[in-house]
Amino acid sequence: MTALLQVQNLGKSFDDQALFESVTFEVRAGRHLALLGSSGCGKSTLLRLLAGLDAPQQGRIWMNGRMVSVPDRVLVPPHERKLAMLFQDLALWPNLTALENVLLGLASVREPKPALRERATAALDACRVARFSTRLPGTLSIGQQQRLALARAIAVRPALLLLDEPFTGLDLALKSELIAELAGLASALGTTLVLVTHDPFEVTRLCTDALVIEDGRCAESGELATLLAAPRSRTLQAFAAATRQNSKT
Amino acid sequence: MISCLKLEQPGKWRVAGLAVGFLIAFTPALVLVFAAEGSRSPDIGSLLGGAFGTRIPRSLAVAFAAALLSTVVGLPAGVVAGLYDFPARRLLLGLLALPLLVPSFIMAIGLSLARTALGLPADGLLSGFNGTAAAFALFGVPMVLFITLASVRGISRRQVDAARLAGGERHLFACVARSVFPAAALTGAVAGVLTLSDPGPGQILGFSGAASEILASFAAQYDFALAARQCLLLAGVVFVFALPVALLLAPRLAIGLLARDATPAPLVRTQSTSLLGPVLLGALLVLTVTVPLAGFIQPLFRNFPAERAAQEIGRTLGHTLTYGVTAGLLATLLGVALALCAGRSSKLRIGLLAGLVLVMALPPSLGALGWIHLAAVSPSSLDPALRSPFTVSLALALRFFPVVTLFAMRGLGTTSPSWAGVAAIHGVSLSVFARKILAARLVPPVITSALLVVLLATADVSSVLLLHPPGKSSLPLAIFTVMSNAPESLVGAMCLAYVGGAGLLLVVAWVASIWLRRKS
Repeated sequence: MTALLQVQNLGKSFDDQALFESVTFEVRAGRHLALLGSSGCGKSTLLRLLAGLDAPQQGRIWMNGRMVSVPDRVLVPPHERKLAMLFQDLALWPNLTALENVLLGLASVREPKPALRERATAALDACRVARFSTRLPGTLSIGQQQRLALARAIAVRPALLLLDEPFTGLDLALKSELIAELAGLASALGTTLVLVTHDPFEVTRLCTDALVIEDGRCAESGELATLLAAPRSRTLQAFAAATRQNSKT
Repeated sequence: MISCLKLEQPGKWRVAGLAVGFLIAFTPALVLVFAAEGSRSPDIGSLLGGAFGTRIPRSLAVAFAAALLSTVVGLPAGVVAGLYDFPARRLLLGLLALPLLVPSFIMAIGLSLARTALGLPADGLLSGFNGTAAAFALFGVPMVLFITLASVRGISRRQVDAARLAGGERHLFACVARSVFPAAALTGAVAGVLTLSDPGPGQILGFSGAASEILASFAAQYDFALAARQCLLLAGVVFVFALPVALLLAPRLAIGLLARDATPAPLVRTQSTSLLGPVLLGALLVLTVTVPLAGFIQPLFRNFPAERAAQEIGRTLGHTLTYGVTAGLLATLLGVALALCAGRSSKLRIGLLAGLVLVMALPPSLGALGWIHLAAVSPSSLDPALRSPFTVSLALALRFFPVVTLFAMRGLGTTSPSWAGVAAIHGVSLSVFARKILAARLVPPVITSALLVVLLATADVSSVLLLHPPGKSSLPLAIFTVMSNAPESLVGAMCLAYVGGAGLLLVVAWVASIWLRRKS
């Protein structure tokens, strides 16, 4: 079976300094991958490369067997990759209402207007923010804004959803609620998740696989449970310790 | 489909766009350089040794005095207005913006008339060197005040709280003043540099500087080549002083113009500042606005030539507005384009800002004389572009477009780079993104700045004097032309009408900006 996402020897530099290089991994449909590593190691940059927002300097990316990025070139633009992305700042367009945010997010979907509206309303409903459809994002609570951003992302029914630390700054109860909803939606829509995070709680609740970037290279990758059982990288050792501590308390 | 990512990605088009923009802005000056190269007028050495050479140090001394006065007065006032709330704060600040929008020579006329009314000697405090430096400080002080105010509001609430906890209000004031001093001092220096190329106040208050000499060479002696050489020499002097200021100011401005996450400290009302604030800003208002206004009004008690003033205003109002509005439109096109070209790149933003400071600092007569030479050597088929009201507007737009660029950079700085990223992922085209998302952030500051350019362009005298087609004078130029021969009451009435009109436009700009911000 072809992997949904395949990455081979990927590398990116800034100002002639390598951020990471030779990163190779693949994600199969239905699996959820956690991208882990210390701050500034290039996790968010890697997500941008997967989304097609930037071109890699080395390596290649395939999606559903189709080559989408090669060195210094984005072959398939972001909107043709059947993916969506949740940014850390959520990137909600502040002058558009909740419904308009989702509707504009459907710009690449070729359907009649009433069908698009129905689809947007269904996405808002699935994320439990339909009653705020006429409100501007700035007037919503942070949890409602997270749900709205998620509604915009799932409205396009993406095969792959990229999440760049979307739960940062949320209290534990809300985070737990949102993670459960996200897991349910991903399962219902058949969407594969790639999550960038520093939080062991999010990783263990949401992800099946992990990839750790350390010192500019892929330190380890594979099934999360296996990796946590015998962690080799500093990041996963810290994760494993934190997870054990949490389970004790 | 053009991707929204173009707005956030680097590209050669950005540097090329900035180069083309600055080439357009500096074209008249470059034309003048080539024209002066081939002329037989005195060389730079003999100019420096002659009367013009002696004027330059005098102009520099006035510039230094105006810069010092502006910084010493504007800095504390800006810190007080930025930290504290007090009665009539907004009203006083609004009124203090007026001198920035009125031609410097009109304020100088006010000072001159006030001097006569007060019975002060013609060689006393409000004349010659002192009077000219004071007249220039009338716009320098508000400039420093508003930049200081903006800098203070850029300090985060946490930093203010920490300083307040450490040592109370006095300690806070000292810390904040030290923090914003570089911005205030650099703004004072910019105000000083701007005086070098402004002949107005010196002409009125009896101080002969380098800029007055250029005006006399062209308008009285009709010696284009001499005026061109003098203008280039003055531009060189201005450049030498403006370049370090531009290079120092640009990085600070670039940071200040980017959106900040820091929440500014709320304005605090204390017993002492409730008294000190209105007294300080009120005193500044008296010195910068009320004294010149009183100068205009006083002769009107003896005689109010309403009919004659209305005639002059009616004759010139249409041309004034045409010059101003067309300049506003052209400046908006160029200003927004340059802001988009610089984008979020810190290097390009710094380069752009340094260039903008230089554009603002160069003598306006430099551009105007360049256009005149261009018109003289071009075929007559180009007259509609080179000898028409459009030429005046274009020259004014190329002088004032930096105002629009600054506002547009600020507007763009308040957007998040991830907005374009999400739009690209969801297949939103660049045109739809620009119309539905970007416009909401850009339109309010751009319209406000375009209105400011209209005001500044209508206030200009140097460019209009040198470039206006016969019979198409502007109101400030009409005042400038008649001021030495006409009765004081007529000059006072016309100046008052101008200041009233500028005040009205200022209110319109302010209301429009609030309305547009609420709407977006």
